[in-house]
Amino acid sequence: MTILAIHPGAYYHIETLEAPRYARHFDRLVRPEDLADEDLSRHAVVFIPCRTPADRLASHAAQLRTYLDQGGTIVATGETAWEVFLPGIAFTPEPTNWWWWLTPGADLGIRIASPQHSLFKWLDQDGLTWHLHGWFDPPEGAEILAVNGEGKPIFYVDEVTTPGRMIITSLDPCFHHGSHFMPATTRFLDGFLPWMREELGGEKAK
Amino acid sequence: MTVLMIQSHYQEPFAMTAPLFADAISSGLMKVVREMELTDQHFASARGLITTTHLDQIGFQRFAAAVIAFLDRGGRWIYHGHILRPVLPELGIYRPIENPKRVDLDQVRLYDHPIFSGIDQKTLETNHGVAGFYGRGHNPPPEGAIVINALGPRQVPVDWIWARPKGGEILSHAGNEFWGCGDDPEAKKLLARRATAWLCGELNR
Repeated sequence: MTILAIHPGAYYHIETLEAPRYARHFDRLVRPEDLADEDLSRHAVVFIPCRTPADRLASHAAQLRTYLDQGGTIVATGETAWEVFLPGIAFTPEPTNWWWWLTPGADLGIRIASPQHSLFKWLDQDGLTWHLHGWFDPPEGAEILAVNGEGKPIFYVDEVTTPGRMIITSLDPCFHHGSHFMPATTRFLDGFLPWMREELGGEKAK
Repeated sequence: MTVLMIQSHYQEPFAMTAPLFADAISSGLMKVVREMELTDQHFASARGLITTTHLDQIGFQRFAAAVIAFLDRGGRWIYHGHILRPVLPELGIYRPIENPKRVDLDQVRLYDHPIFSGIDQKTLETNHGVAGFYGRGHNPPPEGAIVINALGPRQVPVDWIWARPKGGEILSHAGNEFWGCGDDPEAKKLLARRATAWLCGELNR
């Protein structure tokens, strides 16, 4: 089983998916427009990076749903309109405070909600903290991985909406890492992508 | 249509562009076309071209011939972002500043291009006192390009203008849309207005 990443082709996608730092974490890259020809059942994970234009996945929503119904795993990071192509998404955007860290001693408020989750052997709270774009109302039974300062979910695992698994976050690490801007986003990917490979992409896959 | 603005993103909150160009769009001077709906004909009917940081550089390769034809007949192109899939052989791959310090993000005007003329480059250097939004590296300037704005003591060419020998001009800005940077709304409007005029063939030197 392998990890497939959707490749929308912006510079930050190219840098994140193709550059040596993380390329080994993706077995195959596919353009959204070529997804229909891809047998998703061959892949343990379908990774959808930040700022994937949702209109380019809209026509593939049924294919993604079939993959989930067959037990597949989809990972989708932030600043894309997930509800256009994935089921069970309820998202509330919020204005981004880019400047919170300029105040000495300020705390953005992001907290790990499930410290026992295997991801957090690879990733700490600082690796989740750069800024916020909004929160989710996940379905009952979803596992909340991280919350914002008001306790609202920003990162969760949904294994109840479909027989498969959706790992969804409003954090947008690929955009900023791929822009060579915001070191916390690189720390996130330094932990998240090896975790995805180890825990989801190999023999341990669901 | 005179100016073609390619919209590569999906959601509106990313639009550092369209609101500043509302008048040009409503007057028909500028047309916004989603990247997936582009055809060669859009380039054939344009005098100016705007691509944003969100450009699908892989998909844009299919328009390489249309872009070359657009430039051959004198088109002007404002390119934003990091070039990782050049559509012209003269364009090189983006180079980030490695581990930039604050001083590396200082900005200086080297050439008084009419889009930027009279605007203190320091007003574009920071947003809320934070540097780096404007640019953190450069697209290598082709031979004959003139550097407009540069970063840091090594004068990294973040902005340049290139009069292509075979026709057309490219203004490269290796960062977020330059009219979206800084904290001065009047400067942003002025940059957008001048960019439109330049793309229409005005503001010549």
